[in-house]
Amino acid sequence: MKNERKRTFLLITIPILALFVCFNTIPLIRGVIYSFTNFKGFGSYDWVGFRNYIDLFSDGRVGKSYLFTFKLAVVTTVVVNVLSLVLALALNSKIRAKSFFRGAYFLPNILGALVVGYIFNYFFTYILPAFGAMIGSDAMSSSILSNPDSAWIGIMVVCSWQAIAMNTIIYISGLQTVPEDVYEAGGLDGATGWKQFRYLTFPLIIPFFSINMVLCVKNFLMVFDQIMALTKGGPAQSTESISYLIYNNGMSGGQFGFQSANAVIFFLVIVTVSVAQMKFTGKKEEQL
Amino acid sequence: MKGNAIGHIGISLCCLAAAAGIQGCGASGNNGKTEIEIVQYKPEAAGYFEMLEQEFNATHDNIQLKVSSPNDAMTILKTRFIREDYPDIIGIGGDINYSYFVDAEILADVSDYAGLQQIKQAYRDIDEALELVPTEGEYAVPYVANAAGVLYNKDMFAEHGWEIPQNWSEFTALCGEIQSEGILPFYFGFKDTWTCLAPWNAMAVSLAPADVTKQVNRGETTFAKEYREVSEKYLDLLQYAVDDPFAYGYNDACTAFARGEAAMYPIGSYAIPQILSVNPDLNIDSFVMPANDDAAKNTLNSGIDLQFCVMADCENKEAAYEVLDFLYEEENIQQYIDAQIAIPCKEGDFVLSPMLDGMTGHIAEGRMTDYQDHYYPSEMAVDAQIQTFLLQKDVDAFLQKFDTDWLRYNRDIIRLVQEYERTHGN
Amino acid sequence: MKEGMTKKTNWTAMVVLILGLSAIAFPLYMTLVIAFKQPSEMTNSVSGILSLPKTWSLDNFREAMRVTDFWNSLKNSLVITVLTVVLSIAIHSLMGYALGRNKSHSKFYSFVYLFIVSGMFVPFAILMMPLAKQTAELGLANWFGVILLYVVFYMPMNILLYSGYLVNIPMALEEAAKVDGASTWRTYWKIIFPIMRPMHATVAVLTALAVWNDVMTPLVIMAGSDQNTLPLAQLNFQTQFGTNYNLAFASYLLSLIPILIFYVICQKQILNGVVNGAVK
Repeated sequence: MKNERKRTFLLITIPILALFVCFNTIPLIRGVIYSFTNFKGFGSYDWVGFRNYIDLFSDGRVGKSYLFTFKLAVVTTVVVNVLSLVLALALNSKIRAKSFFRGAYFLPNILGALVVGYIFNYFFTYILPAFGAMIGSDAMSSSILSNPDSAWIGIMVVCSWQAIAMNTIIYISGLQTVPEDVYEAGGLDGATGWKQFRYLTFPLIIPFFSINMVLCVKNFLMVFDQIMALTKGGPAQSTESISYLIYNNGMSGGQFGFQSANAVIFFLVIVTVSVAQMKFTGKKEEQL
Repeated sequence: MKGNAIGHIGISLCCLAAAAGIQGCGASGNNGKTEIEIVQYKPEAAGYFEMLEQEFNATHDNIQLKVSSPNDAMTILKTRFIREDYPDIIGIGGDINYSYFVDAEILADVSDYAGLQQIKQAYRDIDEALELVPTEGEYAVPYVANAAGVLYNKDMFAEHGWEIPQNWSEFTALCGEIQSEGILPFYFGFKDTWTCLAPWNAMAVSLAPADVTKQVNRGETTFAKEYREVSEKYLDLLQYAVDDPFAYGYNDACTAFARGEAAMYPIGSYAIPQILSVNPDLNIDSFVMPANDDAAKNTLNSGIDLQFCVMADCENKEAAYEVLDFLYEEENIQQYIDAQIAIPCKEGDFVLSPMLDGMTGHIAEGRMTDYQDHYYPSEMAVDAQIQTFLLQKDVDAFLQKFDTDWLRYNRDIIRLVQEYERTHGN
Repeated sequence: MKEGMTKKTNWTAMVVLILGLSAIAFPLYMTLVIAFKQPSEMTNSVSGILSLPKTWSLDNFREAMRVTDFWNSLKNSLVITVLTVVLSIAIHSLMGYALGRNKSHSKFYSFVYLFIVSGMFVPFAILMMPLAKQTAELGLANWFGVILLYVVFYMPMNILLYSGYLVNIPMALEEAAKVDGASTWRTYWKIIFPIMRPMHATVAVLTALAVWNDVMTPLVIMAGSDQNTLPLAQLNFQTQFGTNYNLAFASYLLSLIPILIFYVICQKQILNGVVNGAVK
């Protein structure tokens, strides 16, 4: 009987593991192998040793894409979490038409990022400048996507517009775990408003805060669709995210080998960030 | 019961494998006909090729022709090459991608194709110049060429009595005059980075040596020296352009020019069909970009816009040649150049569009030079570098970066050239 | 105090929410309006931008459907999404079960568990180029290959969810079945699989949303195969709209409608599923 159980588990595990190895581990290893070649994606190629990696650290374009991606990820994460918390608090308070609001606020998250990006592209190019011209603001009367200093804001707005939905929902479920009597006890101590939130509510929803941070950072570091729809990396290469650069130069730009090296580094970065984040938030939870 | 478990998993795995197998070899074999697949990279000519495909299939029993004209075809082609999934014939431009494909030995030698003899020598020479190192054989059959200069609104020019400029000072004077009359001289669509290359190429042919990239590869000169004038003059043009040209894409710029919002649009002849689709009544003509102060030194920027290459992987070269014969029939070429306002590469009596009137003199005299960007490696993204430069307006920084990036991205090519020269004794 | 709180509406919150709602509704309103207008109705003035179309004609939609081959793309998207969800539920729950039941006492299973779950950190960017090659070598550069890849990509997350959920299911249930002489395989399908239903819903919702909206995988794997999913069709036909933004927006709206309908019908399940998945 015991053997039957063991065998069944093995029979389940082995083929599925094989599938996983075949389409995850093997391509990962192949990616690492390609990173040591000057392969263009077609034709013959040579081994170039660590040249791609050395180039990677002296390549301004790659450096810029890392800076951009991290800037975007950090700022968007902050914006998204602040706004989601405010919305979650509002949605969790005594309001009318609660379920309608909840449903409506989650809506952006189910829409495809590419199409949302196209819609906002039009919005930033034509509608926003029209409003800018109406209120006589020079800064607003040109498209924010056309300026290398502000194009990232457009991308940030679109990413936030969609991501807030998810984070709000998670914060709401966090807030629902806070028992009413905590507030009652706090109310007796005179904790209201900001104080109540800072010292009573927030510590209790820290786990949800960490989930949101991890989700946000990981998603925004891999941003692709929004870039494709809004700027295609421009203007002046100011909005090339790492994923976009790898796709664009690796698949169509003839840098298959070089971008494979970039992807390997990107992989290591993602792992480092995720592990660091989990360690950090794990510690924080323990402290509280 | 245990057997049941094995059976379940076994069956599902078999299904996976079987489905994979069926999908894998389902492509070939179609009621005895030879299938020829063409992927061509000009989506704007999709209608023309659809029509040719139907006509061809209606008149040929032995071959089934399939032409696809996808958007962003170069990415799709390269993705397919990564997958080693080759069409039979590709229709591409005469640019660096062609050079790479020749170097990668994925194109078939077509020097035995009879139709090649009827192609103008000048264009066959361009293709030869594009080879990274001289290679035996020919790998492409040029179809049509395009020309880039300045498109202008003929009615607007006639109305105001503006003259076609012959040199740079006349050109800037004209721009100033247009501006003083409250009309916008240029529209640009710099949001699409590739459009930044159009004025660049048109000016560079008259201001820098035609083989500047090869000179640099041999270490004889630098871009900082050869491209300084082009860069400075490009910046001069900007002051006559629409405010914030980086906000608009190619489509927006074509639309604005079509609606008479600007007097001129420095872009290639390939933009005319797009412009006419917005306003079919617009009276467009073109002139050669007068970038040089010496009118005699101004040459027309013209290169191969579309050429067909047979892939080395093509199993039935004869069928492919039969398809090429059909594509290169004179009436078909004429139809193409009428629709796309292009210049045929084949010898013969073709009627050029009146919208190229301003350029026919140069074309007839052969005063033409290939696009410089056809020699730029695509991963260097010169278009985006020019866009950056136009935003930052720093000539020195731009040219310095151009030189350093050039050496980095062309390392393998430079090594290839040096090796070739060493082994071939010059 | 508690009594008072339940009765009074928090008006500050209502104001915040209504303001926020307009930020969500405005782009959608614009999409709707532009999709119905004609190019001649497009102006650059604010009032012109906000105005309703003169007529509510469906011509733009008809044309957009023709250009993007809408029904075919919709079919592909549906096939890929449904099959991925079905396969994910079957395969991932099974694997989650095998790993969840054994990882605490077996080095092998706990290694496999960690190995697969850490696949979550592998960005698609590093896999995409080798996968483009590999799927083609295996003859999988088609929708079937895309499904297979999805099943692999979402495996780490879903296995994490399933094996986490399994902790709540007491071993006693299985042991009871075993006493009746049922095999492990049978016990799983008869007892464990049905109990995990809430997790199936979560996995289905999360996987379906991700697959439905994904661009990159089909872009890399199926490019040039004439087979589009809905988002891929938008990407591929973007330039064919030219500056006819009305046509483009009609097409955007068309591609959003299926998921909108789905959301309106299953809103509650979707919200529950998402929360479940994230919080677990």
